[in-house]
Amino acid sequence: MFLQLLVNGIAMGSIYALVSLGFSLVYNTTRIFHIAYAVLYMFAPYMILTFYRNLGIPFYIAFPIAILLTIFLSVLMELIIYRPLSRKKSSSTVVLISSIGIMIVVINLIAMFYGNETKILNPNISKSISFGNIIITHSQLFQLIISILAISTFLVFLKFSKFGIKTRAMRDDNVLCAVFGMNINKMRLVLFMLSGFFAALGGGLVAYDVGMDPYVGMPMLLNAVVALIIGGMGRFEAPIIGGFIIGILQAMAVWTFSSRWQDAVTFTLLILFLLFRPQGLIGEKERAV
Amino acid sequence: MNYIFHIVIMINIYIILCVSTNLLVGMTNLLSLGQAAFYGIGAYIAVLSLMILNLPMIPTILLVMIGTAIASLLIAYPSLRLKGDYFVLATLGFQLIFFTILYNWVSVTRGPYGIPGIPSPKLFGIISISGLIPFLILSSIFSVLIVFIFFKLVHSPFGRVLKGIRDDEIAVLSLGRNVTSFKIWAFVISSAFIGIGGFIYATYVSYIDPTSFNLDEAIFILAALLIGGTGNIKGPVVGAVFVVVLPELLRFVGFPDSVAANLRQIVYGLTLIILMRYRPQGLAGDYKLQ
Repeated sequence: MFLQLLVNGIAMGSIYALVSLGFSLVYNTTRIFHIAYAVLYMFAPYMILTFYRNLGIPFYIAFPIAILLTIFLSVLMELIIYRPLSRKKSSSTVVLISSIGIMIVVINLIAMFYGNETKILNPNISKSISFGNIIITHSQLFQLIISILAISTFLVFLKFSKFGIKTRAMRDDNVLCAVFGMNINKMRLVLFMLSGFFAALGGGLVAYDVGMDPYVGMPMLLNAVVALIIGGMGRFEAPIIGGFIIGILQAMAVWTFSSRWQDAVTFTLLILFLLFRPQGLIGEKERAV
Repeated sequence: MNYIFHIVIMINIYIILCVSTNLLVGMTNLLSLGQAAFYGIGAYIAVLSLMILNLPMIPTILLVMIGTAIASLLIAYPSLRLKGDYFVLATLGFQLIFFTILYNWVSVTRGPYGIPGIPSPKLFGIISISGLIPFLILSSIFSVLIVFIFFKLVHSPFGRVLKGIRDDEIAVLSLGRNVTSFKIWAFVISSAFIGIGGFIYATYVSYIDPTSFNLDEAIFILAALLIGGTGNIKGPVVGAVFVVVLPELLRFVGFPDSVAANLRQIVYGLTLIILMRYRPQGLAGDYKLQ
């Protein structure tokens, strides 16, 4: 039982890590508390639904199309909402509220067109492999493999490519980057694209397993934010560690209490971290307190 | 006519919520995403007092205010050590924990089934307040009273210190004020009055369940306040009227019911986006968010 829950936790944790990484890409570099990120996570599965279920395009083509469209939406948010605000030097609260505004608008547009009820992408029961008495479903396996692949590719790029160096530079100081002649706006666009990509990937993988409704984004975003805080602000490895910790802890919470208390466990953890270790596990010490 | 009475009662409730929240957001620059929790705590304490302790109205209100104030003190003390985004996150965390407890502690709160049949409060133990018109009077008295209290508060020395903290915390600190204690007071006062909003809501609707006090509601209260505007008393009142009246207007435009709820939300969202871009102080406020 313990091992089974551990495996479930790791599979879920890989998704948390993926989604949290996408969020931290934007948050660490631009300081935008991108609540509308929740919408990207929810938007991708609905696009898959449209192309795969409604138009009958095979899944392995529909998924990339959905990812592209999600990236497009993410870029739209930056171009239409965030860039003008940052040009006006709006305060972070104003940006946060605008982001909430975007989230409300997109969620309700989706609910209007697709309905409020839960939709399913994959009507068949997922096949599974068993090792001894541990059962892993195919969709869990997909989640694990694809997210770990995406995360590790990103980490390699972050470490060794020019883009990665620029990203880490932006994390440290936007103004200084501009002084050295970096095109901040272009970098921000790329970062928003990448974050859209991670959100879409996570959203699609989870929805393929359990389906979705227009409101799935917010709980996932909250978990991603908690993962980011537990891991630590300011470093891109941190949300990955945090994501796995949360995934495993939640699975253990199911074991010890019941699944209904999962959220309480997560957010108690958040509060404890905020109070006693606001820089997170491996983050840099910052101005939280 | 009953329809208009109902709308006025809802406006009154939201005026109480918005004016109280304004003390935090507009006067002290503390953006809280946990306001629905205090609204809920007020409502559930009111139910406890009316249904189990069988108290009349005035003791119930006192109990609600004291209970909410204590709960908010417990939350304020740890969260106020944090700044900016971290404070928002802490209040959000408490909001979600509160909802999870309400929803899952079925033996006490009846969880998702909600609590039906909340009795009408009794003034002096004799005059029972039930029906639309008594509630119209009750809620109007409270909203006017609370607006008046906050008007006095904003223009008192206490209010001026809060504004000082909002505009320049270090300056206030250097003048020898205990900034943290002022912030905690603002938090506690704001929550205690939000609790009254919960009391009126619970007794008026006579049924409560946790979904009335979830994160969406917290965002909604904040949106109402920010649409109206922060920093003065006029703003929150305008916001409350706007968010309650707007859906009713949309209803007359004649959209089908199935999309009306979504459409209403979309209008709120767009209003927020546009206001934040062009008028960050809201429709009638005088403080630009920082």
